[in-house]
Amino acid sequence: MDEEPERAKRWEGGYERTWEVLKEDETGSLKATVEDIVFKAKRKRVFESYGKVRLGMMRHMFVVIDTSRTMEDQDLKPNRLTSTLKLMEYFVDEYFDQNPISQIGIITTRNKRAEKLTDLAGNPKKHISAFKKAVDTPCAGEPSLYNSLNLAMQTLKHMPGHTSREVLVIFSSLTTCDPANIYELIKTLKGLKIRVSVIGLSAEVHVCTILTRETGGTYHVILDESHFRELLTFHVKPPPASSSSECSLIRMGFPQHTIASVSDQDSKPSFSMSHLDSNGGPGLTLGGYYCPQCRAKYTELPVECKVCGLTLVSAPHLARSFHHLFPMDAFQEMPLEDVQGERFCQACQGELKDKSVIIIPFSTSVWSVCTPCIDFSRLFDGALLLISVCSAGVCMSGLQQHVLCGV
Amino acid sequence: MCEFVSTAAFLRLNIEGLLVYFPYDYIYPEQYSYMLELKRTLDAKGHGVLEMPSGTGKTISLLSLIVAYQRTYPLEVTKLIYCSRTVPEIEKVVEELRKLMEFYAKETGENSHFLALALSSRKNLCVHPEIIHANIVVYSYHYLLDPKIADLVSKELAKKSVVVFDEAHNIDNVCIDSMSVNITRRIIDRSQANVETLQTTIQKIKETDAAKLKEEYRRLVEGLKEANVARETDIYLSNPVLPDEILQEAIPGSIRTAEHFVGFMKRFLEYLKSRLRIQHVVQESSPQFLKDIFEKVCIDRKPLRFCAERLRMLLRTLEIADITDFSGITLISNFATLVSTYSKGFTIIIEPFEDKTPTIANPVLHFSCMDPSIAIKPVFERFQSVIITSGTLSPLDIYPRILDFRPVTTASFTMTLARTCLCPLIVGRGNDQVAISSKFETREDFVPEIDKRFFFYVYMENIVASWYEQGILENIQRNKLIFIETPDAAETSMALEKYQEACENGRGAILLSVARGKVSEGIDFVHHYGRAVIMFGVPYVYTQSRILKARLEYLRDQFQIRENDFLTFDAMRHAAQCVGRAIRGKTDYGLMIFADKRYARADKRGKLPRWIQEHISDGSLNLTIDETIQLSKHFLRQMAQPFRREDQLGLSLLTLDQLQSEEMLQKIAQIAHQA
Repeated sequence: MDEEPERAKRWEGGYERTWEVLKEDETGSLKATVEDIVFKAKRKRVFESYGKVRLGMMRHMFVVIDTSRTMEDQDLKPNRLTSTLKLMEYFVDEYFDQNPISQIGIITTRNKRAEKLTDLAGNPKKHISAFKKAVDTPCAGEPSLYNSLNLAMQTLKHMPGHTSREVLVIFSSLTTCDPANIYELIKTLKGLKIRVSVIGLSAEVHVCTILTRETGGTYHVILDESHFRELLTFHVKPPPASSSSECSLIRMGFPQHTIASVSDQDSKPSFSMSHLDSNGGPGLTLGGYYCPQCRAKYTELPVECKVCGLTLVSAPHLARSFHHLFPMDAFQEMPLEDVQGERFCQACQGELKDKSVIIIPFSTSVWSVCTPCIDFSRLFDGALLLISVCSAGVCMSGLQQHVLCGV
Repeated sequence: MCEFVSTAAFLRLNIEGLLVYFPYDYIYPEQYSYMLELKRTLDAKGHGVLEMPSGTGKTISLLSLIVAYQRTYPLEVTKLIYCSRTVPEIEKVVEELRKLMEFYAKETGENSHFLALALSSRKNLCVHPEIIHANIVVYSYHYLLDPKIADLVSKELAKKSVVVFDEAHNIDNVCIDSMSVNITRRIIDRSQANVETLQTTIQKIKETDAAKLKEEYRRLVEGLKEANVARETDIYLSNPVLPDEILQEAIPGSIRTAEHFVGFMKRFLEYLKSRLRIQHVVQESSPQFLKDIFEKVCIDRKPLRFCAERLRMLLRTLEIADITDFSGITLISNFATLVSTYSKGFTIIIEPFEDKTPTIANPVLHFSCMDPSIAIKPVFERFQSVIITSGTLSPLDIYPRILDFRPVTTASFTMTLARTCLCPLIVGRGNDQVAISSKFETREDFVPEIDKRFFFYVYMENIVASWYEQGILENIQRNKLIFIETPDAAETSMALEKYQEACENGRGAILLSVARGKVSEGIDFVHHYGRAVIMFGVPYVYTQSRILKARLEYLRDQFQIRENDFLTFDAMRHAAQCVGRAIRGKTDYGLMIFADKRYARADKRGKLPRWIQEHISDGSLNLTIDETIQLSKHFLRQMAQPFRREDQLGLSLLTLDQLQSEEMLQKIAQIAHQA
């Protein structure tokens, strides 16, 4: 109780020169700022889609969260750990929203050890409650990249070949304390086709660069909280599958939701299978989803049947996963002079003035849109632009698909 | 530059009418600017001082321009002599040269008749006659500056050569070292053994082949005419150990016969031995020394001056193959010649013991050169263009002054950057606002809080011990491994290797090392091997040294350079070298933290190279530790963002088209900063 609570007060913490971030460029483009480069990369990433390639739709992902001493750093508010866990809640939600037939598991690492917070599972609630609990765990010692990856590998290597095996590491420390040569492990990971991506919270660490490059993942370092969120969002989209991964048919069940009321004489309250292992939560309920194979009851989808192991999904879930397979064609940037036809933005209806114009190729026609509109819509993952256009009643057949899929 | 190894495309540049082939498909703007200045220097047939940051492709710019110049004007420039410091550096040059030559071969279709020769280590030992024919010679400084070696290797290099001293920020020290002589008891003992050997050999020859000695005597009477003729007809590079005057004269009679000479040397050695038998420090000038030697053992100045030459002749006559055995007597004879030739620029200091161990008698006679221009003078006089270049030569005007030459161009180039990849910060205060300084009076209780450092070994040991007591080491060790540079080379290279391993596999490490040490000068910490350098204190030389004091006095009297100016200049060039270790190219990035409030003063800051100076903003002059951590965090995050070649194109990396645009040419004109 001596120093800890005092440090938590903002005015006791480090002196920050927040204005330093806002740096103006006097010499023009000669000293192009990093922000500019980041922005360009971001725009590229948004426009860049994989085209019509096979995607690893069924993802098995382990998220490794660094809970070493460095997570107590207060450069993310209120501290790195709390901020990370909060964003992870958002991430898990989004992840299951976009990849309903995938699974996720959480690993934490501290004191040179790694432990599983949650096993691979398809239920977001379980993970989120685990995050809520983890907020209070003390951060201590150093992380071990080797141990965490090894732990993730032990589970992932038994996953069927058609799934996409992924590890996402949230790495706050600048060092890792490993029991053995990590380069051997990287080789093994590569052999097992486990893709490791890293999001760094403090600075570039060489071993992560190698790790991600070798295993085909991505490596990013956050600038601030909103950038962190963006980087996480980037991992929500399913990655392209490697050409060597297997294809196979998967058995799935599509249970119907049975609604029963208390007044109904036939209905009897029953336990949901998903609540069996958790102590809290609602006990007996009426109605729910019944597994078409073994009639086990679940209150939520998607889920893997505890009794017979069948993957239970609903049709909309599958459709949502499906839309990743048919992404829109990449937006193109072209100089204004080359634009043919009328020179106004299809989104804001304003005149095109900028030097460059973004071209959106739809299946039926081509739109030219001004850059501010694109940048604006980027904030909402491209959704706003299309909706605004749709509400204006210009909806076209090619577009409908995207809107439907909840772009 | 090697980060962007290209496959096929090359550049053909037009530099003020000169066609230059450049073996990469992109060029940095500052390279273009550098070549421009270089060409003007060659046109003027003068000397140049050029400062360009490391990692911006100095070597290839130099090579491609000079080779192009050689091809275009074969009569104006016949040879390029490229001097570098270390073997790896020489190898790097050769690599670049090979690339350039391949390109030439491909471009012109003919097998180029260019001959390039690299003299690096003993395994590629030089073959003397080839040097004369080679178009490009790459070797170490010493081959040109050290009179003992230069005489063997570089004597016959043509006048119309271009000499380049790369990494030349320490050239004055190299010059001084090459002219200075330290004589210890052991050397005298060895020399006496040498003299004994000489005597017996002479005796033997006298019995078997007296004619040979007679022949030698006859030649000596005729004097050193031969050498004189050679010098007048401008065939040889002059040797500072063989001054002009003695060429005109015959060797004095007192040392003309072999026996007399050996006797003479014996007497001289005895005298030196007696001088070493002292209890207190003696400092005297060359004339004082000569006077004393005349009074005590009646050795005149004149025969002393011929010692080096006479010994060489004797060794030749006696047909002694292995000269290395005679290093002792050679050293002594060189000393004799130098002390009697130069009345200025040298000082003699005899110390009865080393400063560190005042109880153990270990007398040393330092015959120390104080004027670097003596060694380098023949080079400037002989060759039509001498280029001195390095990453850190600021302030530019001091080199021409201490080396005593008049350059036609002095320029400093900045690094054009697509992103600000260096972050110099001056930490002046602790969090409690107490000033940070390692100034002499505050040293004892100075408590630094951060990591990597360069300083003197002994001092470092003290600091590390006190860090241990205060628990600072423990704190650091919770995050990183700690390695320490020691005076022992094997230990240091072991530490270095482990340090790099720790960086490689993510363990993270800190290397504590000293400024002016091996690590701070010669070792590059590319990319992840070095992201931050923290300089604790200002790396002044050991000012109590008598040799340094004598040199400072000399500089003040001869060149009107104030002691403080020189000391600061010397400290700052070392500081710049240390912090420059972390940035070895444009895609590299690094923090440079100067942890001493004295760096904020204009006289210190102003002596840093321009490419570092321009990134020190007024706001980062006197930071507290907390602020520094804030800024560093921000900087490191920014630098970790993806950075691709496209981001550099057009700003710090140019294609031929971009280079030729009017706008860019204007920008390039601003890069070079004339001093």
